[in-house]
Amino acid sequence: MNTDKAFRLSLFFFTISSFIIVASIVVSLIATSYPIFMRDGLSFIIRGAWNPVREDYGILPALLGTLITSAIAIAIALPLSISLAVFSSELIPGKFKIIMNNISDLMASLPSVIYGLWGLFVLAPILHQFVMMPLHTHLGFIPLFSTRPVPTNLFTAGVLLAIMIVPFASSVIREAYSAIPYYLKEAAYSLGMNRWEVIRMMLGYIKSAIFAGTFLALGRAMGETVAVAMVVGNIMRFPKSLFDMGYTISSLIASQFPNAEVYEFMVPALYGGAFMLFIMGLAINLIGFSMMRRMVVHR
Amino acid sequence: MEICDLNVWYGGNHVLKNINLKIPKNVIFAIMGPSGCGKSTLLRAMNRLLELNPTAKVSGQVMVDGINIYSDKIDVTWVRRQFGMVFQIPNPFPHLSIYDNVAIGPKLNGLTKSKSELDQLVRWALEKAYLWDEVKDDLRRPAAALSGGQQQRLCIARAIALKPRIILMDEPTANLDPVAAMKIEELMLELKEDYTIVIVTHNPQQAARVSDYVAFLYLGELVEVGETSQVFTRPINKLTEKYVVGRIG
Ligand SMILES: Nc1ncnc2c1ncn2[C@@H]1O[C@H](COP(=O)(O)OP(=O)(O)O)[C@@H](O)[C@H]1O
Ligand SMILES: [Mg+2]
Repeated sequence: MNTDKAFRLSLFFFTISSFIIVASIVVSLIATSYPIFMRDGLSFIIRGAWNPVREDYGILPALLGTLITSAIAIAIALPLSISLAVFSSELIPGKFKIIMNNISDLMASLPSVIYGLWGLFVLAPILHQFVMMPLHTHLGFIPLFSTRPVPTNLFTAGVLLAIMIVPFASSVIREAYSAIPYYLKEAAYSLGMNRWEVIRMMLGYIKSAIFAGTFLALGRAMGETVAVAMVVGNIMRFPKSLFDMGYTISSLIASQFPNAEVYEFMVPALYGGAFMLFIMGLAINLIGFSMMRRMVVHR
Repeated sequence: MEICDLNVWYGGNHVLKNINLKIPKNVIFAIMGPSGCGKSTLLRAMNRLLELNPTAKVSGQVMVDGINIYSDKIDVTWVRRQFGMVFQIPNPFPHLSIYDNVAIGPKLNGLTKSKSELDQLVRWALEKAYLWDEVKDDLRRPAAALSGGQQQRLCIARAIALKPRIILMDEPTANLDPVAAMKIEELMLELKEDYTIVIVTHNPQQAARVSDYVAFLYLGELVEVGETSQVFTRPINKLTEKYVVGRIG
């Protein structure tokens, strides 16, 4: 009786405190960024500028950087994680499957600074030499590849993000794939489908889970900070191509915060960026979760 | 269809023992027996769906119109298209529309050449399955929106849209309410005009109601086969007699 009461009380306490924490985050985001929105209004988010000496801030290039790196990450991670999930569910025998899934789980749990180091010293030079330079040399007339690349840029950041979110996205898809009822596979095979046709049909069946996993992964990609800051180039200017150096909101905050308090409006500006990121992340997660819910209703 | 010396093992478990069966055309052939006796296994051996289970091992022959479907030269996907299969749990593809569920088979095997031909085939199959009138207003609805009985009739439509030689039904009414079940039984009697139907049931009354021939399977062995009227009125085997009066199963 007493323990029951204590249990319920503590549950109540933790629920309330998580609400309070979220509320205080929102309040501090709004309150601290308030001055920059009051001073500059919309122009703070539709211009590009980062000149602390003149207290001139406009974060649109960083917003674009967040969107571009996330888009690259998703474009690479989605097919990769679907393939990995199908591969581990359908094609490889039990022992290897366990090993592979363990490796995948391990990769999902590595601290991002490790990805950042690896991205900077291994991935970036490799991408530069074997992917970006050839693309620029041969397909440079396409605007996406028109900038002469240096190793650290938006593209490298996007690829690194893709590698970081694949383990997570593929485990969501793998879960959904392994939960497909056996009788649906039987139905597909009984119609004379071959293995690939069945796999395609089953992927169609779990497409809400695939979308949900992708959107949740996208949320992570947009918020990822340290690793991106190490490979994205960190320059505030409008990206001319995928191979241009740039900023994302997260990397902007990470790299500018140390000396922000010297200036009057830089802290509000960084908080303003964080607030925009919060809104984008919220939107992405809402879409992801509503898809997840649709998937549950579906069954 | 003819089954000769069929044996099936799951690992070391011998679940079907020396089955020999002749199934005439355009009849309803019931396979009855208590649950666990191997009925579903026998049905899945007929269209080689058993091969989805890596532990299952099969020996013997299954002849369809003179072709041994277990011959090395035969493509397993071709074999499965010679049969339409209906399962114990209604299993339309829930994320596809009613139309697409029926159209999927003909699309796969290239039965139709144009969209209008496909439309016609879909309509024909839905009419055959007694479902057209209930769904014709909106064929784009997802299959998941239908009731259990409608879903099972959709599965029948999906099966016959393949233009199969034989329809296999594994306890097709086991998960339906009595009214929906009755509708399926009526439908089977109608379909018999054009198809050979093999139905598995653990319910001897159902076998007596719908079938022309019946086989009694017990612990993986075929105990008795014959015309339904004869098996139910004058069973040869004592076990069969006990089963049909409801003392086994
Ligand atoms: N996938 C399987 N793996 C191993 N054994 C199975 C499998 N499916 C069925 N069996 C066994 O084979 C026997 C026959 O099963 P089944 O054909 O499903 O019987 P029924 O359809 O008559 O209930 C049962 O003893 C069952 O335990
Ligand atoms: Mg069964």
